[in-house]
Amino acid sequence: MRRGSIVQLVAIGVLCGAGATAVALLVPWLPDPASKQADRIDFVFWFVTAISIAIFALVAAVIIYSLIKFRARPDEDADGPPIHGNTGLEIAWTAVPAVLVTAIAIVSAVVLGQNSRVASASRARPLDPLVVDVISQQFAWSFKYPDYGDAVSATLRLPVHTPVKLEITSLDVIHSFWVPEFSQKQDAVPGSINPLVINPTRTGHFPVICTELCGLGHALMRSTAIVTSKDAFLAWANGQKQKLAGPPSVSGKAVFTANACSSCHTFTPAGATAKIGPDLDKLAAEAKRAGQPLDSFIRESIVNPSAYVEPGFPNGIMPTTFATLPKPQLDALVAYLASGGKQ
Amino acid sequence: MTGAAYVEEQHAPAPSSSPPSGWHRLLAPGWLRVPWMMLLFFGIGIGITCLVRWLEGWDPIWDGQVITTVSLVTVPIGFLAGIGGFDYWVRYAIGSPTRPEDHSGHGARSWRDYFRINTDHKVIGIQYLVTTIFFFVVGGLLAMFMRAELAQPGMQYVDNQAFNSLFSVHAALMIFLFVIPAFAGIGNYVIPLMIGAPDMAFPRLNALSYWLLPVAGFMMLASFLAPGGAFAAGWTGYATLASTHQPIGAVFFNMSVQWAGASSIMTALNFLVTIITMRAPGMTFWRMPLLVWANFTTSLLVVIATPFIAGSQFFVMFDHVMHTHFFDFSAGGYPLGYQHIFWFYSHPAVYIMMLPGFGIASEVISVMARKPIFGYRLMALSLLAILVLGFSVWAHHMFVAGMAPWLRVPMMVTSLIIAVPTGIKVFSWLATLWEGRIHLETPMLFALGFISMFVIGGLSGIYLAAVPIDIHVSDTYFVVAHIHYVLFGGSLFTIFAGIYFWFPKMTGRMYDERLGKLHFWLTFIGFNLTFFPMHYLGIQGMPRRVADYVPRFADLNLFISIASFGLGASTLVFLYNMVKSWRFGPVAEANPWHSLTLEWQVSSPPPVFNFDELPQVVGNPYEYGVPGARHAVFNGDRAPELEEVR
Repeated sequence: MRRGSIVQLVAIGVLCGAGATAVALLVPWLPDPASKQADRIDFVFWFVTAISIAIFALVAAVIIYSLIKFRARPDEDADGPPIHGNTGLEIAWTAVPAVLVTAIAIVSAVVLGQNSRVASASRARPLDPLVVDVISQQFAWSFKYPDYGDAVSATLRLPVHTPVKLEITSLDVIHSFWVPEFSQKQDAVPGSINPLVINPTRTGHFPVICTELCGLGHALMRSTAIVTSKDAFLAWANGQKQKLAGPPSVSGKAVFTANACSSCHTFTPAGATAKIGPDLDKLAAEAKRAGQPLDSFIRESIVNPSAYVEPGFPNGIMPTTFATLPKPQLDALVAYLASGGKQ
Repeated sequence: MTGAAYVEEQHAPAPSSSPPSGWHRLLAPGWLRVPWMMLLFFGIGIGITCLVRWLEGWDPIWDGQVITTVSLVTVPIGFLAGIGGFDYWVRYAIGSPTRPEDHSGHGARSWRDYFRINTDHKVIGIQYLVTTIFFFVVGGLLAMFMRAELAQPGMQYVDNQAFNSLFSVHAALMIFLFVIPAFAGIGNYVIPLMIGAPDMAFPRLNALSYWLLPVAGFMMLASFLAPGGAFAAGWTGYATLASTHQPIGAVFFNMSVQWAGASSIMTALNFLVTIITMRAPGMTFWRMPLLVWANFTTSLLVVIATPFIAGSQFFVMFDHVMHTHFFDFSAGGYPLGYQHIFWFYSHPAVYIMMLPGFGIASEVISVMARKPIFGYRLMALSLLAILVLGFSVWAHHMFVAGMAPWLRVPMMVTSLIIAVPTGIKVFSWLATLWEGRIHLETPMLFALGFISMFVIGGLSGIYLAAVPIDIHVSDTYFVVAHIHYVLFGGSLFTIFAGIYFWFPKMTGRMYDERLGKLHFWLTFIGFNLTFFPMHYLGIQGMPRRVADYVPRFADLNLFISIASFGLGASTLVFLYNMVKSWRFGPVAEANPWHSLTLEWQVSSPPPVFNFDELPQVVGNPYEYGVPGARHAVFNGDRAPELEEVR
């Protein structure tokens, strides 16, 4: 191979590499990181990207150079030189990729270890780590704070610069918890509790997304992670705790909200507009079709959803998990729905 | 003389007995026997079900769900019995006279013979390819519906149940009814010719395994007609969603996978026995073309791995229909168990869908660069390395699934190591191009397109193998982009390369080169515009398998949808070219590409038993540029099989 052709090949390679680098740098690929874990994952991302650009440039350069230099003329009948192999070259392109993937494996394993570790150095401080139980069901998230009297929230509230340990589970099928800005993801599996560690690094509102197909409402199974200052979080959490400590006042609307009925149903008094399940503004008509008194129809539909299925809706999309609601909550919810939101 | 006339004169022995007439035609194997046989077996299924339920005292005796499930086993048996798939074996079993060398069902005399049980591997190969292209078109249309819905956020044309069915059936058709059997079809046509054999080792089994395909495919599509809609749990069908929250259509998916899997296993066994026992004299393993090596390793993968998906689908179906508790956590079942069993097949399935493509690329690149394959032995050995490593990486699909945490790093290491044998193959193809005399005909364009797209898919695979990055992008559009770069840019491009490359051999006619090139460029550009932006969507936060998404992704999704319609339209060019060229194309020479391998040393299309003279293999298959080199010689020995026939 002559020197001139090496120069040409390298020039094409540099051009392809520059093009790929421009695509990598000019497009804002990664979400703006909001956790320590995301910062580390971004490092791995750029590490792999650098190697990928080099390999891509090499392959593209050889293909393009070959297409320019080694095209047969039309009607050319000749064969190429009978080169069967080159042991040195073959050892090289076995060994070099092996070294590169080993490097990627080491970097990834180190980052994985760091990202799975909970900083639990100072037990004395109340928020170290903050444990949140993440409970998923079709098609809603709820977040329980065991350190604050089991307060439950439909949004994930976290203090900034604090290690958080999420303990994720599911009540029905497999869901998956993901906040793109945190770069952390974990499936929620019924019957087991899976941990996930997050250290939020900036305040803001970030989307919580279900990424494991979980049924008809999967696309709408979203919530929000609200990262605030530590003081604001403590104020909110202690407020929730005190509310629970007071006399138990069960409001039907609170039960409706806490169980995320609005992710599937329309119910104007609660501001719910979803259309996966039957319209709860028309409960009276539906009870008539089912041939039952309104109250007992509503109760049965919550506890045993398959007993009567409204025409036009598939059987089995209403979760059966609400059968376990405590009786006061169930009563309040039935009254709330039966009264059209007045009670 | 036209190719078609040539077929009629030379390519099939005359039928041995006169065709049946009158009501006897209802008893002869064929389409008249199919309807009543299917009804009969449908009745048998109902009868057995109700009898068992009555004897056990279960209520109700008539249970639609159970009857449907049983019918999905019995009705296909009725279809296969009607079309004649079991005739020879039944006759043998009941002691009727059989003729082992009956060749009346061998070879095609007219187009009608492609719609019958046929034992000729060349007919079966074409049956496979035409059937799989049909399902490719159907699967593509489902994708078009999906992209129409995704062009805007919110819900426009379909509801959630329909959308979830669309992507589930799209993936299942493309994987089980297109990519896997399309490679089996190309292999069926080419492998016996390449190794110098008169047919596959078990021609009747070969015919049966083909006829399982339409059964599986139409069962998959019929799930749209089932009450409650088609299965909608994704082609991965994870428990417990697939086992508890699905309409009866899910059972159609479970059973369809069984029939397609049975077809795969039978074909793979056939390939293995054919390649091991029926090579021509002098065809040692180290003289086999790389496509034969690729089908050999693929068949090993199929035979070892496919029973696992059969098991996983049976367990899910039992949970769904019979209320067993394999994956029901509340009764002590283990939901993640499904994923382990499923991926123990479905990761090797990725190589089942890729290794034959590697083989096709090797054939095309060597012939069209006019050079020997660079590092032939390392190419074959890297196939074997992928075969072995392929079984050690399944849990990289489960990095966020909540499995044992210690399993993640070992699975990452094996997944990354598999890049090494794959890299060997890519670099060897590049070295084969180097200093060659490159002819850029359509097959070569698709082969080079395959290398470049597969490199991108392989590199995004490195991202997914690295656990921390996978945790971020798992189950997002990044994964959708990755699998389409691997399966569309990889497998599908090699299928197109193979179809164009062997089109003159299969049909005896030449395809239209200008339309072929147009097809390539439309596909190549449309493909990249459709799938490359999906990487960005995924990293930014769009999960896969959603009909609705947040408004900030609207513009890019609209762009992708428009590009995908262009990509879909490019298939029309391909279909037009195939139909037009098959009917009216110029008659092809025996060896238009000046290839050395055996299939090109016989006429186009080949004689009914492939070789009128027995080939004697004397050298390697890719000795381009070596003066006077031959892969095989024909020294006038008549093929022994042919003597028995005449």
